[in-house]
Amino acid sequence: MKTYQISPIFALLLAAGPAMAALDEGKKADVAQAEAIPQDQLDFFEKKIRPVLTDKCYKCHSEKAEKLKGGLMVDSREGIRRGGDSGPAVVPGNLKDSLLIEAIHYGNKDTAMPPQKAGGKLPADVIQDFEKWVQMGAPDPRNGGPVTVAAAKKYDTEKSKDWWAFKAPKKTEVPAVQDAAWARADIDRFLLAGLEAKGLKPVADADKLTLIRRVYFDLVGVPPSLDEIRAFEQDKSPNAFATVVDRLLNSPQFGERWGRHWLDVARYAESSGKEANFAYPHAWRYRDYVIAAFNADKPYDEFLREQIAGDLLPAKTERERAEHEVATGYLAIGAKSQNENNPRQYALDVADEQIDAISQGVLGMTIACARCHDHKFDPIPQREYYAMAGIFLSTDTRYGTASGQQNRHATQLIELPASSGLPTITKILAPAERAQKEKQLADLEKERNEMISERMEARREGKPANGVDVKKGVRLLILLTQTGMLESELNSFDASGRPKILAMGAKDRPAMSSASAGGGGRFGGMFAGGGKGGRFYGSVTAFPTITDSPLYARGDVDKPGDKVPRGFVSILSNGNAPAIPEGTSGRLELAEWLTAPTNPLTSRVMVNRVWHWLFGKGIVESTDNFGTTGHLPSDQALLDHLALDFQKKGYSVKKIIREIVLSHAYQLSSNFNPKDFAADPENTLVWRMSKRRLDAECIRDAMLSVSGDLQYSAPVGDAVAMAGDGMINGPRGRGMSEAQLNVDTPVRSVYLPDARDAVPESLALFDFAENSLVTGDRETTNVPSQALFMLNSKFVEKRAERLGERVVAGYPSGPNGGLGANLQERITYAYWLVFSRPPDNAERTAATAFFTRFPANWAKGQSGAAGVRDADAARAAWTSFCRALFASAEFRYVN
Amino acid sequence: MNLSDHSCNQITPLFTRRDILKNFSCGFGWLAFAAIANKAAATTTPAGAIENPLAPKKPHFAARAKRVIFLTMRGGPSHVDTFDYKPQLIADTGKPGKRPGTQLLGSKWKFTQNGRSGLWISEAFPNVAKHADELCLVRSMQTDLPSHPQAFLKMHTGSFQFVRPSLGAWTLYGLGTENQNLPGFITLTPPSGFGGAQNYGSAFLPAIYQAQRIGQEGRPVAGAEVKNLDTSLSTQAQRNELALVQSLNQEKLVRDGVNPEVEGVIQSYELAFKMQSQMPQVMDISKESPATQKLYGIGDPATEDFGRKCLLARRCVEAGVRFVEITHGNWDQHFNLTNALAANAKAVDGPIAGLLTDLRLRGLLKDTLVVWAGEFGRTPHAQGGDGRDHNNKAFTVWDGGRRREGRLELRHHGRVRLRGGGKQSADQ
Repeated sequence: MKTYQISPIFALLLAAGPAMAALDEGKKADVAQAEAIPQDQLDFFEKKIRPVLTDKCYKCHSEKAEKLKGGLMVDSREGIRRGGDSGPAVVPGNLKDSLLIEAIHYGNKDTAMPPQKAGGKLPADVIQDFEKWVQMGAPDPRNGGPVTVAAAKKYDTEKSKDWWAFKAPKKTEVPAVQDAAWARADIDRFLLAGLEAKGLKPVADADKLTLIRRVYFDLVGVPPSLDEIRAFEQDKSPNAFATVVDRLLNSPQFGERWGRHWLDVARYAESSGKEANFAYPHAWRYRDYVIAAFNADKPYDEFLREQIAGDLLPAKTERERAEHEVATGYLAIGAKSQNENNPRQYALDVADEQIDAISQGVLGMTIACARCHDHKFDPIPQREYYAMAGIFLSTDTRYGTASGQQNRHATQLIELPASSGLPTITKILAPAERAQKEKQLADLEKERNEMISERMEARREGKPANGVDVKKGVRLLILLTQTGMLESELNSFDASGRPKILAMGAKDRPAMSSASAGGGGRFGGMFAGGGKGGRFYGSVTAFPTITDSPLYARGDVDKPGDKVPRGFVSILSNGNAPAIPEGTSGRLELAEWLTAPTNPLTSRVMVNRVWHWLFGKGIVESTDNFGTTGHLPSDQALLDHLALDFQKKGYSVKKIIREIVLSHAYQLSSNFNPKDFAADPENTLVWRMSKRRLDAECIRDAMLSVSGDLQYSAPVGDAVAMAGDGMINGPRGRGMSEAQLNVDTPVRSVYLPDARDAVPESLALFDFAENSLVTGDRETTNVPSQALFMLNSKFVEKRAERLGERVVAGYPSGPNGGLGANLQERITYAYWLVFSRPPDNAERTAATAFFTRFPANWAKGQSGAAGVRDADAARAAWTSFCRALFASAEFRYVN
Repeated sequence: MNLSDHSCNQITPLFTRRDILKNFSCGFGWLAFAAIANKAAATTTPAGAIENPLAPKKPHFAARAKRVIFLTMRGGPSHVDTFDYKPQLIADTGKPGKRPGTQLLGSKWKFTQNGRSGLWISEAFPNVAKHADELCLVRSMQTDLPSHPQAFLKMHTGSFQFVRPSLGAWTLYGLGTENQNLPGFITLTPPSGFGGAQNYGSAFLPAIYQAQRIGQEGRPVAGAEVKNLDTSLSTQAQRNELALVQSLNQEKLVRDGVNPEVEGVIQSYELAFKMQSQMPQVMDISKESPATQKLYGIGDPATEDFGRKCLLARRCVEAGVRFVEITHGNWDQHFNLTNALAANAKAVDGPIAGLLTDLRLRGLLKDTLVVWAGEFGRTPHAQGGDGRDHNNKAFTVWDGGRRREGRLELRHHGRVRLRGGGKQSADQ
């Protein structure tokens, strides 16, 4: 495939700012430098080279350039030798590495210079002059020039610095409204003021049935039971709704619903994804941590601190310490290219993924865009990206996985003490089995080590590689995989056979290098010795100690520039970013920086997410992008009010949810109103509640719930945890199969396996989050594959069958009661269970007609139709009827 | 299920632009489109009609190809033994390779010139060689890394570092598809590893653009099926059920007044119902004549499986599917090159030639792009006595479909070495 190259024109079209004016001074010193250059060479430069550079190149590649191209300035010795984004333009004495020579030869049309509009390719004799000049050592009297790469591309941030999101939230007076009686909360006053300003009025309130269904799905993700509906209907007190809300906020199902929202943002998944997909059998601990945090209403700032630097925080108890460690799983669960064979590339990719997850998830910023160049739109210099990258390069990310074929980057996990009291999966490795596996491992290791020694020896002796038996190479690959798997398994249990408490997470790297630092698995070092080109070297850590990151030109790991001290993005720092103490990664300071009350984004981004999850649309619609390419807030005063309120109330997510849900605005109906619609068709001003498609989990859980099958108790772990290390749906049957990943246990959807590229069908079809990316706003699609799932899948059939049984059993008719018995009561009951309302007359008619027609048609489809009993037909009719209810649009949407 | 009952004039001006966009990224427009356009009117959308995300779109430049069949040769087929003639390498057999300690290995297959254009093709592909004048060989390919998973993913999405939409997804996004009752992008027996679903996924594009996967590598395509197509009910009984679903939906539509998303659900059921019958029809090759089946090598165990895939690919594109990918593995011949590559070539050569012939006979070849590609090539030096290692620095792909007659393309840096090692010696 054609290698994708960023053209120089594409690279950086940034104005060379006034900061470079000072460079003029440098010219005066030219004379001094010139004395060191022999006169003939100096003459050659002045006669043959300088005029061409001035004439052909300076327009785009000098400090005077209107638009500096490719970050390259050739108007000084320093500049031409340092080069631009692609590397040095001139390497004295080295024609091959001098990009300028390649460019003027016009060999590569992407980099050919000078451009056509500047006269095109230079005459052959001029090209020869340049070659001669480079060969003589590129003598160049021109002093001055850029001091650092970054300085050469000084970003003009003045304009984008004014972007609203980079300024602290402003406290605004709650506006006065005409219809003061309508408003119940400050939220209502902000919204109503907006409506009134346009001469609009909110629609009527939602009725009680609509409201209770809405708030159940929004807060706990399942529909209300009939008893709960009845209780709410009968409660005529003004606090009736608040009573329901408080009960839901305190139910364990709340964390399962809202924890899942955060898991979308945290790009939670149980495998490494990418090109070779390795299971993360311990990821579920992080999942459970998140659910528990939402249930406990852990303050959001604390929640973030624990996820980013939990291992560095003080803890009162062992349990708390263990939970802090588990929280850092946030940093470890991202997608990774486990097969990457360049350790430096790998380390930088992992760091990049972490930066991306945090910056989009917590800050609503796309900081990772600045990996290869200054951010094109937001005031984030590439330098500051690498300031943050240093923090993560200094972090030892522990995600486990078994080493072996296609996995060059297994790591240790974090082992937590049994006394922490964290649960473990119900799997044991009995001592006898252990002994047998240890023996097996020892045998395989022996064979493997002999094979490796043989290879090393052959290499040392310089024996031709052709002499090495390739089949042996394949055998070695198998051995490496088998030993990796066995090691991982043996390491996962203690001597008594119980599972160890293992977690994914992060630790600071050591400040000083030590022999044992880095390297996962027992054999990392052995293969590391194989050096470059060695195929099977284990996990080699490119950055074994606390370190600053070099600035990599164009993000190319082979082009390290000067090191950038670890730090943060200055536009969000308000001039007071915490200092990172020597010998630490800086994660603690990162957490501090993110959660500082002065950080303009963290609170806003989170309250906006909450708003989005309750109204279906954020005040800032682009929930993960508050940068200059994102949306403007529909009501910044309201957003800032909520953000400041969030901080004032101790970052309590439950309080902010409660406040929003109890507002009048949340309790509006979703009814249509022509006048409002004409003025505000997108409902930006919230004149009604938007109709929303349920999330995949709600659809599945609701089917389980109304069919009476939903198992509410939280399981420990899941199928991925039970399967242990290995591939996800790997080639040649390696690892967990698609079928295993789709085994449908009737637990809540949040507890189903969530491996990358292998999400269970029942969730994937209904727009589950893309779990390799931060997802603050899921898609909603209506595609035929969803319809086919509803009509023909075993899962839905089973739910429909069970619901049919439930409905029939609800109005028993005795042994001889046919299909007609209690038909209307049963239809009504089914409607209540599925839709939280009774059927209207038209629906009743349609349902009755269905029961009249279906059984005969069904019987026709059965072999030996004559002998089919009516009871079977009735059963099939109920299954089909209930499936139709599940399949309907109403089941999928909340009003 | 009358299409015309759901023409777009049901959409009142009260819909917001946003609703409409949302709606149409949700599938409603499939039907709206179907009602106003037919297959032939592939390039235009009538003024005022609402854009359906899968509706055929007019490309920015006049296209010579209307559909793609992507023949994926997973594992990295040896270019020097198939489509990249290296006389010097044959002459230099046994001499030291660039990688220390290796010896060059000339191809054991004879190369001959074929067609009027005289393209050099190895005797491993005798049948494809007969189509030399319909091929365009690109012998100047290179990729970033000599490792299967990364190179395979890069071939499909352009990046192994980042999660990106696949080639087919982009094609569907850019061009839409012509048969709204079938998926616009179908992949037959892709590998589950090497990037897995990402190779045919839609990443950040709406899910509607991802491929319909049928089967999995390593299992015969004959037994592969599309999920959830089979109903346990008789057609009549299912119609009763569907009628009930749709009446519930209509009821909701009436209650809601305006709700494009409910319209979307209604359309999705109509489509699903059609797919239920159309998809098995497309997958059913039994109605193809014995001569056609034979043309594809169906009936011969060596070519049966890939022949079926090629025939299915033709049936799909003929039915209006925009992009069909079929995968054949495994071309990773580190050893046993002589036998394994011969077997691979035999498995695909006849069926591919059959596909090209059949497409031409049906007048489809002129605007169908048939691409043959692996993720990288193999080294000019031997690995073991009878194998070749990965080579990302040089490999060959070709496209058929008379884009350019019997042409040899040397794109990119255009460095072609007689020995086939690429720009640098490949030692991975």
